[in-house]
Amino acid sequence: MTSFAYYPGCTLYTKSKNLDLCARETAQILGVELKELETWNCCGAIFSTVTDDIANQVAPIRNLIEAQKISNKLVTLCAACYNVLKRSNLYLAKAGNETYRKRLMNFLDTEYNGKTEVVHYLETLKYDIGFDNVKAKVVKSLNGLKVASYYGCLMVRPSEELKFDDPDNPVMMDDLFAALGATPVDFPFKGECCGGYILVDKPEVATKCAQTVIENMAASGAECVATTCPLCQYNIDNQQKMMSKQYNLPIFYFTQLLGLALGIDEKILNLNNHFIDPKPLLKQKGLLQ
Amino acid sequence: MKSEKKRIGVFVCHCGINIAGVVNVPEVVKRLKETTDAAVVIDHQYCCSDPGQNLIKETIQKEKLDGAVIACCSPTLHENTFRKTAARAGINPYNCEIANIREQCSWVTEDKEKATDKAAKIIKTLIKKVQYDEPLTPISIPVTRKALVIGGGVAGIQAALDIANTGYPVILLEKNPSIGGKMSMLSETFPTLDCSQCILTPKMVEAKQHPNITLMTYSEIDSVSGYIGNFKVKVRQKARYVDWDKCTGCDICVGKCPKKVSDEFNCGLSERKVVYKMFPQSVPNRVVIDAPNCLYIQKGACRLCEKHCPFNAIKWNDKDEIKELEVGAIVLATGYELLDKQRLGPYGFGKLKNVVDGLQFERILSASGPFMGEVKRPSDGKVPERIVFVQCAGSRDPENAMAYCSKICCMYTAKQAILYKHRVHQGEAVVFYIDVRTGGKGFEEFYKRATDEGILYIRGKVSKIFEKGDKVIVWGADTITGKKVEVEADLVVLATAMVPAAEKSFAQLMKLTQDEYGWFTEAHPKLRPVETLAGGFFLAGASQGPKDIPEAVSQASGAASKVIILFASDTLEHAPVIAGVDEDLCSGCGVCIDVCPYKAREIQVKEDGKKKTVKVIEVLCEGCGACSAACPVGAAQQKNFKDKQIEDMVKVGLE
Repeated sequence: MTSFAYYPGCTLYTKSKNLDLCARETAQILGVELKELETWNCCGAIFSTVTDDIANQVAPIRNLIEAQKISNKLVTLCAACYNVLKRSNLYLAKAGNETYRKRLMNFLDTEYNGKTEVVHYLETLKYDIGFDNVKAKVVKSLNGLKVASYYGCLMVRPSEELKFDDPDNPVMMDDLFAALGATPVDFPFKGECCGGYILVDKPEVATKCAQTVIENMAASGAECVATTCPLCQYNIDNQQKMMSKQYNLPIFYFTQLLGLALGIDEKILNLNNHFIDPKPLLKQKGLLQ
Repeated sequence: MKSEKKRIGVFVCHCGINIAGVVNVPEVVKRLKETTDAAVVIDHQYCCSDPGQNLIKETIQKEKLDGAVIACCSPTLHENTFRKTAARAGINPYNCEIANIREQCSWVTEDKEKATDKAAKIIKTLIKKVQYDEPLTPISIPVTRKALVIGGGVAGIQAALDIANTGYPVILLEKNPSIGGKMSMLSETFPTLDCSQCILTPKMVEAKQHPNITLMTYSEIDSVSGYIGNFKVKVRQKARYVDWDKCTGCDICVGKCPKKVSDEFNCGLSERKVVYKMFPQSVPNRVVIDAPNCLYIQKGACRLCEKHCPFNAIKWNDKDEIKELEVGAIVLATGYELLDKQRLGPYGFGKLKNVVDGLQFERILSASGPFMGEVKRPSDGKVPERIVFVQCAGSRDPENAMAYCSKICCMYTAKQAILYKHRVHQGEAVVFYIDVRTGGKGFEEFYKRATDEGILYIRGKVSKIFEKGDKVIVWGADTITGKKVEVEADLVVLATAMVPAAEKSFAQLMKLTQDEYGWFTEAHPKLRPVETLAGGFFLAGASQGPKDIPEAVSQASGAASKVIILFASDTLEHAPVIAGVDEDLCSGCGVCIDVCPYKAREIQVKEDGKKKTVKVIEVLCEGCGACSAACPVGAAQQKNFKDKQIEDMVKVGLE
């Protein structure tokens, strides 16, 4: 079985356990082991753009060094971790940043030059496993479930660094769901902001962002939403109850839908951890007893 | 190479203080007199002035010189001047050389002593060169006084008419079945609001009826060979499946044809038949059959057009025909296209029905368009109550599309908004812009008219366009108030960037250079805007960059006048400073043939039938020297830049 170093991140140990557990379980079924880093710390949470940011870069780079003990590839799940770890790594390895690299190394025990490749689990599914092989392992086809794949901002931008997918029209998750038997719903807000952290400071702004996205998904005919990001999950899920019109769009982590299709235990799916209860929809679609 | 020594005169120019301010000219003269075998060394305030030139001429004659070095500015400025002076004095002009002691010495050296040393050395190397220079005579080439104009839009038509009116024959080539180009698709033109067709069709007809113009429509270039004055062009005339000698353009077949496909002339907003005429005023007024969509050609069924044609003009066995042309000059009037909306992701990838581009909206406004001039939107034919116009859609956007300004969009957007308001009085027009650029005659006044007529201009870029119900929502920034704005529209018109119509492969066929976006590169951006670096090719209209109609027309007339100048004489002179071949040394290996960028070298078999050597096609050689550098045995030698000359110049320079 191929093993890849795996970085869960803080939220996946607390609020978003289902994102994490479903990923580990589905990887196992697909013949890949996600081997958690022996020790890890905060990814940094936000990619620092200030000039003197040695302190902010130590955290992500430490994780990348730790990954080297397992593999050259480090798999991530949370959109924010993916964004921060990948960009910190690129910044360190960038030509012209040699002085910065030397200074940074003063704070770290192991010499490191950027050779850990940061990937997202979606990329592992697409490039290492292959969507065709995923399709072959489906035990419960998603049966035309209309899914809006919501990528949010962190997965696709800045596109010249992340090179994940077309920032204006990402399709990697859509393609995965098509392989699982679902019907991907195209909508023009796949990469728009969910409101993010501004919820804490200016909730009215965050509400407007999330509600615009929700309206747009619903208008495009979505029955449910899938995401890679705990914050998007929270905002899209939580904001719906405040809206004058109730759309009742359950929002899943993409690993939950993958797990459902691959037939993992319902306990691991943990469908109770949602504001909008997804069970009625799944029952209606014959995907749940 | 001559064995006897030349009597060489050196003329050192002060160029006012340009040279003499840094270089100690009297000292240079003194050193040259002492250390070289120059017959005469003289200095002058301004050698290029009349007295200066007279001094050079008289000295050459009086001292019986047979070579001259003028130490002055760059040869790109005055080489020609002094070579003519030398010729007037009776010596071969190619035995007069320039020592550049201004751009390469006085202007770039601060230290006066160093500059003086350097000037003296530069001059010494040139004395050495002149010593070995051979007398050369320009090469004479015959000129075929017949022109080919590629592209039958307004620029091509204008160029063809101008050339034809001076009496020279012109072939006007167009890839579509009719000439007329983009201008024939426009409704009205800014800033005067004349009807585009009304001012263009007389020119189209004139081109068709002109005794000196041969129209070749539905035709494309297959290959081009030869050189200035003597091009050989193969043209592919596409199969029309209609005998144009018999066809009268009556359109009976069009009425009978059962199959409809998307109409390119209406930018996909309506359908046309498979046998079709591009538009009612097509020139020539003939129909063609669109073979890939024809039921008979593809599936063997139908033949209704044939049955109903009163003139028996349908010709099923028609084939592409290759026609060979011999012309002396080629005018490229290949025009532009609009940037594909699919490239504009945030504006809906071209998938939203009620988001159209500028040309589509021209067709919507046009009396002969899909809605007969009534402003309706494509999705449901409703009259739009609010239209949002988005300027710079893909222009001035280096991250996502084109970095350049497409130049015409500010004015055509104002025009389209005005025309919309004229047709739909209660309608609202909102324009998003970065800047409104009104550089042109009557343009600013026209923009003022647009704002006076109640068109709302919002300064800011549009970030996103999406559908909501049957409306189109436009998100943008208002950078004057600093607020985000959302406008609900019934129709959105994108002023998409202009992009060149000529593809890379086409430019390669012509061996012409394009800039990074594909516009043809002019010989000089300011002083030679209608010529190209390849002799005999001229640029007209938007093939060189975004242009409006008056600019395209004036550039076309400019290109035509260059063609006429070329045709004024039946021979052409080509500079003789080109490569030669020492046939005793040449082994015929052909290395030089591959490196020659001008295809000016070929293998020839000597008369004895055994030895192969390389021959230079003199008119094609531009004297770049690539062959001399590549030749392993030193057989390829540049005239007046022979190895021996350069070695001696280097030696003197390093003394």
